[in-house]
Amino acid sequence: MTAQAEVWAAPLLTAGVLAAGAYVVAVLDAAVAAAVSGAGIGRSVLAGPLRRAALLVVQQPSATERPDAASWALAPALYAGLAAAGLAVIPWSASFSVADVEAGIVLWGTVESLAIVAIFLHGWSANTHQSLLAAYRFLAAGLSYLLLSMFVLIAAAIPAESLQLSRIVESQHGLWNVVRQPLGLPLFAVVALGSSTWGPLNLADGDDLSGGTTADVSGRPRLVWSGARAAMLTSFSAMAATVFLGGWQGPVLPGPAWVVLKTLVVLAALVASGHLFARVRTERFVTVCWLVLLPLAFLDLVIAGVEAL
Amino acid sequence: MIDVSSPSVFVHVSFWVFAAAAVLSGWRVFRTDSMVRATFLLLVSFLNVGAILLLLGGAYLGVALLFMMTVEMTVMAIFMVAFMMNPAGLNPMVMVHQPRLAAAAGWVLFGGGIVVAVWGRFPDRPLEPGRPVIVELGTELMGRSMLIFESAAVALVATMIGSVVLSSRRSRYGEAAGDDGSLPPPLDPVLGTYPTGVVPETSTDGGDGHGGDGHGGMH
Repeated sequence: MTAQAEVWAAPLLTAGVLAAGAYVVAVLDAAVAAAVSGAGIGRSVLAGPLRRAALLVVQQPSATERPDAASWALAPALYAGLAAAGLAVIPWSASFSVADVEAGIVLWGTVESLAIVAIFLHGWSANTHQSLLAAYRFLAAGLSYLLLSMFVLIAAAIPAESLQLSRIVESQHGLWNVVRQPLGLPLFAVVALGSSTWGPLNLADGDDLSGGTTADVSGRPRLVWSGARAAMLTSFSAMAATVFLGGWQGPVLPGPAWVVLKTLVVLAALVASGHLFARVRTERFVTVCWLVLLPLAFLDLVIAGVEAL
Repeated sequence: MIDVSSPSVFVHVSFWVFAAAAVLSGWRVFRTDSMVRATFLLLVSFLNVGAILLLLGGAYLGVALLFMMTVEMTVMAIFMVAFMMNPAGLNPMVMVHQPRLAAAAGWVLFGGGIVVAVWGRFPDRPLEPGRPVIVELGTELMGRSMLIFESAAVALVATMIGSVVLSSRRSRYGEAAGDDGSLPPPLDPVLGTYPTGVVPETSTDGGDGHGGDGHGGMH
């Protein structure tokens, strides 16, 4: 591939993977819901998400009284862009990645923290009370889970002696981080669910607040937002597969196939959690986060540090 | 990776775009009428400065600035809304204190910055490509400069925890009574009747320095 072609191929590849990921998330979600409820998995599982998307395309966008129009319109775009930026740092094989930057882990941290801002602004700027409540309770949870991610990702960077994701994958040759640092993946899953406001950690868009930040969003803005949430879950699954499940490494199949397979496994587990566990209460989650999960994440970091010495 | 030793037209154009966006959003911080808007406009300004650091070849410093400022501004948004009499940061409000003094101080600082920028002598030592800047930065931070950075970090954390402890005496039911936590308000403030199971306060110590009736406005 020439350098000129790569300039165009990279964004197309990233957007394509995220669009496919969002569709897979919607199908998995419908399939798990059907299986859990005993309804049986039918053809509607495949066509349903597409029908809903088509409906949103033709639906009229709703308006509220004196919203912060710029933030309201830009928050879904920012959120989708962040999912793409996060996916871009993930290496697909030993020789190919869109942007395998030197400070990849730190860039991922920026994606996580800006995602909190995007979700908050999406709820805040509508200027309606359900979405405002959702935005503030999400912010409390978001600031609590963010540190978990920093600790477990730095712990994964220690054996690699690098912040670069390709080096972190190489450091897992023979022993994946999910075994070497068993606390890492479960804690990262908490961050993944929180950052895509999904399942048990769906505090921003929960049904208990009539859809939270989406309570007054319809039409195409709603489609972009829902797609961006599923895309964010996809990016997080790919990151979990890269940092904890050995990334492209595996026998027989080529590297990218292993990344896709491992991503799908994480994705299925995260989506299923939405139908198997109840939504947490914000106060309890914040307490558990600071008093239990954060010390566990610190322990993970200490173990990795001691092992490195 | 950007070749810092011979920047391209793209780098030059990007620099001016980021610089203009940083100044413009920094100016808007003082012209907007909402705490939340002001906070996130300041964040936009910082993000543009972080992008300029990336253009200068500071791979780690640039991204770390983006990351740190995002978290800090988010925390600041919560603190500003929580401590100001501005429910949820949506009510329009004046965003400046002591505007004349602030404007004078701002112009003096701006003039000082211009003097340094125009007449100062800056080192001209472009990085050679391939130099392990992140490793060198880590060695510096965790080596010679460790004491300074660790002391600053501990002082910052102590300040943050201290401010929360001092300010959290007011709780859901008003002023905390002593150190036992706060009590729910009486059902009828005039008659002084209390909810079932709540023992009314009988002590009359006024020595803790917290005035007011406990249900009134913010301090």
